[in-house]
Amino acid sequence: MTVSALECRSVSKIFGGVLAVDDVSLTVPSGSVSALIGPNGAGKTTLFNVTTNLFAPTSGEVSFFGKNVAGLSSHHIAALGVIRTFQTARVFPGMTTIENILSGAHLHVRTSVASQMLWSRTARQEERCLTEKADAVLDMIGLGHARDVAATDLPIGAQKLVEVVRALMAKPKLLLLDEPAAGLNDRETAELAVFLRAICDAGTSIIVVEHNMSLVMEVADLVFVLDAGRLIASGAPQDIQRDPKVIEAYLSRPEGQIA
Amino acid sequence: MTSILQIVVGGLLQGGVFAIAALGFSLVFRVTNVVNLSQGAFCVLGAMGMYYFQVNFGWPILPASIAAVVCATTFCLLVGAFTFVPAVSRLPSSSALVLTAGLLTFFTGITLVVWGNQPYALPPFSGEAPLVIGTLRIPSQGIWLAAISTAMILGLWLLLQKTTLGRALRACAENPAAARLMGIDLRAMILLSFGLAAMIGAIGGVLVAPVMSLQFDSGQFFTISGFIAVAIGGMGSFAGSIVGGILLGVAEQFAAYYVSSLFANTLALLLLLGVLVLRPAGLFPSGPQRRSDVRDEGRIHRAVVRLPARRGLAFAVILLGVLAVVPALPMPSGLLESLVISLILYIAVLGLDVLMGYAGQVSLGHAGFMAVGGYCAAILATSYGWPPFAAVVAAVILSVLCALLLALATGRLRGHYLALATLTFGLLIDSLAVGLVDLTGGPSGLVGVPAFEVAGFSFNTPMRMYYLTLALAAILVLGLEGGMRLGFGRALKAVRSDQLAAAALGVNVSRVKIAALCIAAALASLSGSLYAFSFHFLSPEMVETTRSFEMIAMLVLGGEGTLIGGLFGSLALTLLPTLVQDLAVFKTAVEGALLVVIFLFMPEGIFGRLVIWLNKIPSHGTAIAYAKAKL
Repeated sequence: MTVSALECRSVSKIFGGVLAVDDVSLTVPSGSVSALIGPNGAGKTTLFNVTTNLFAPTSGEVSFFGKNVAGLSSHHIAALGVIRTFQTARVFPGMTTIENILSGAHLHVRTSVASQMLWSRTARQEERCLTEKADAVLDMIGLGHARDVAATDLPIGAQKLVEVVRALMAKPKLLLLDEPAAGLNDRETAELAVFLRAICDAGTSIIVVEHNMSLVMEVADLVFVLDAGRLIASGAPQDIQRDPKVIEAYLSRPEGQIA
Repeated sequence: MTSILQIVVGGLLQGGVFAIAALGFSLVFRVTNVVNLSQGAFCVLGAMGMYYFQVNFGWPILPASIAAVVCATTFCLLVGAFTFVPAVSRLPSSSALVLTAGLLTFFTGITLVVWGNQPYALPPFSGEAPLVIGTLRIPSQGIWLAAISTAMILGLWLLLQKTTLGRALRACAENPAAARLMGIDLRAMILLSFGLAAMIGAIGGVLVAPVMSLQFDSGQFFTISGFIAVAIGGMGSFAGSIVGGILLGVAEQFAAYYVSSLFANTLALLLLLGVLVLRPAGLFPSGPQRRSDVRDEGRIHRAVVRLPARRGLAFAVILLGVLAVVPALPMPSGLLESLVISLILYIAVLGLDVLMGYAGQVSLGHAGFMAVGGYCAAILATSYGWPPFAAVVAAVILSVLCALLLALATGRLRGHYLALATLTFGLLIDSLAVGLVDLTGGPSGLVGVPAFEVAGFSFNTPMRMYYLTLALAAILVLGLEGGMRLGFGRALKAVRSDQLAAAALGVNVSRVKIAALCIAAALASLSGSLYAFSFHFLSPEMVETTRSFEMIAMLVLGGEGTLIGGLFGSLALTLLPTLVQDLAVFKTAVEGALLVVIFLFMPEGIFGRLVIWLNKIPSHGTAIAYAKAKL
């Protein structure tokens, strides 16, 4: 049996009396694309933030690949091979697109600061190697022309893509994407679905928090549905679509809709 | 017993002064979330105005003090409207903090230009005779001070808690975006708080002028004391300001009486550092605060200023060539020495650039590391006969250790608290340099420092020092450029712009910050020791806090995050006063004004401007491509 990519055991998070995540237990197998869906305010992003220890859970345990994350800070979790993106695009201002993507490779920079300062051959070789890789992924998302412009000058959709490939440069075992399709049009969303599938096939497990149902239906192997902080359903996308509890959760809200 | 009571009375008097300065800090901080370092200058402006009306015009006390307060407040309001208000509205709060340091320098410079550098003292409001209770003597001015401060505190409290205007001010403090949506004019509120703080400061200055002699640079003293008071009491809390001020005043008086007046400052600063480390929010934390370490959306949008690699190389070669032949040109006497100073300071500014420009951490105590390095190397070489080279190396190691210690002590501090901790560190080192007379020569400085020497070759002429510092600067730039272009530099820039996102990519944020601080400390230390070896002398005022502010001005003027930029800044600010001796009196004012104006209107600095301009020239390759496209 393979180790599960993410396992939450009875995770709860209380914000000043508000139960944002309520006793959620779920297991995400490695090698899959999973989606975390739910109406607005269901606690999806909070669950994400709790799993990556941005906030400690009020109770419960989270482990990635069998390793308990309690007490680890963000960079330790990243070092476990778990890389996340954020709901609002967070490219680094004051850096070009290529530099943004290169900064994703931070964990794989092996040369020391001293050797970088001495312009050593290994440091330059490593840089050349990383730059080639970064240029390759940049071309893959069709932003080769924007290589040397400030990343913040790109449209929001492009910034979100830059953030995804920046995360990829860290060679994650598990990629946590928070609404990657927000700000993308239909064509771009379809391209993103293909891209995510390719990433998964290359050996990276993915969990997405997503509002865009067409993306979820297209790409997810497994769907988890949250409502009011509780996990109300999980399973294959087709089953989820027919689950009465899920339909009710979405229909009981004025803005809610599914598929 | 009586003597203790008498010390307490002295402490209360002094504490009242600090409390007034602290009150201004708290008010502005409440509304804008910015620590306004120019607060102390308001006191000096008020006091100088009082002197002007009372002594020059012979006005009676009441009209003279009203006129002084009105004039000082109006002037500060005018300056604030065009500098502080736009800064708070569109700069991140760390930059706004640095801008207020520029404002302090500007006000200090203006005072120097108008009133010169002699000290001023005024007669007390109601005669010299103190109030005598038993054996206790209470200066009459102290009663005035206590009464008027109490009235001001009461008035402020009523204004903030009981009026609509006060509610609007408080709303801005809690949530500026929401306040704006409610129809509150944010800019007007920021200006109002700044003006009120100026008024409080000016009234304080008028009250204090009779008990202590003031001169153009006393503003720094008020700012620092007021800041220490407010940091002890709790930023943004009025009660805290008062308690902090009085605690500080009493502590300083006791320290001066029982230890030594030279160490009074040191003890006050240790008290502050202790409070900052143990209770970062102060003794009276003022409710939930806006977090300053979270990025403010849209506020830190920085232009990307880069020269393409080949142009960069060509530029560097030309620049180095020019700098290498400059000493051969005929030039007025003293210019070469000034060039040496520029280059020595540039080495320290390089370190500051790594810390501030790349890692985004504001240091207001950079000169403290210069002092550690300079004194350590100079003392080892002078008193212990170490070879200068070994002394410099030892000094660099000591500075890095200090940096690590500071990082360890302030590990929990974020945002502007870190900047303030570095300020405290700089002041602490400064006060030690003054206080440890046996070791450092005290206020009059350390004399007889030998010339720098490596393997028997002595750098004993300005020409030799020039080439030594030029070579060192070139090597350092080359090395740092290597680090900044590659992984380390990217990690620094990532931390500067978004710590959360950087950590999510595996960047160990605190380690990266500590590394930047260590590099900055090492370079400042090197610069400080070269300074001592070059002048054969080192005094506290060569490496005091004013120097820290000056180096920030150099960096901002030249262009942050560019490495080369600092050279333009240090050349400009060092050479201009040398070349135009008649205008030397304007130096401080111009430095302050430049820092403020550049921050607001040309954030890319001189070098950044130059790069933008150079990038507009089409290169050979693109010109050909363009011509082909036309055909």
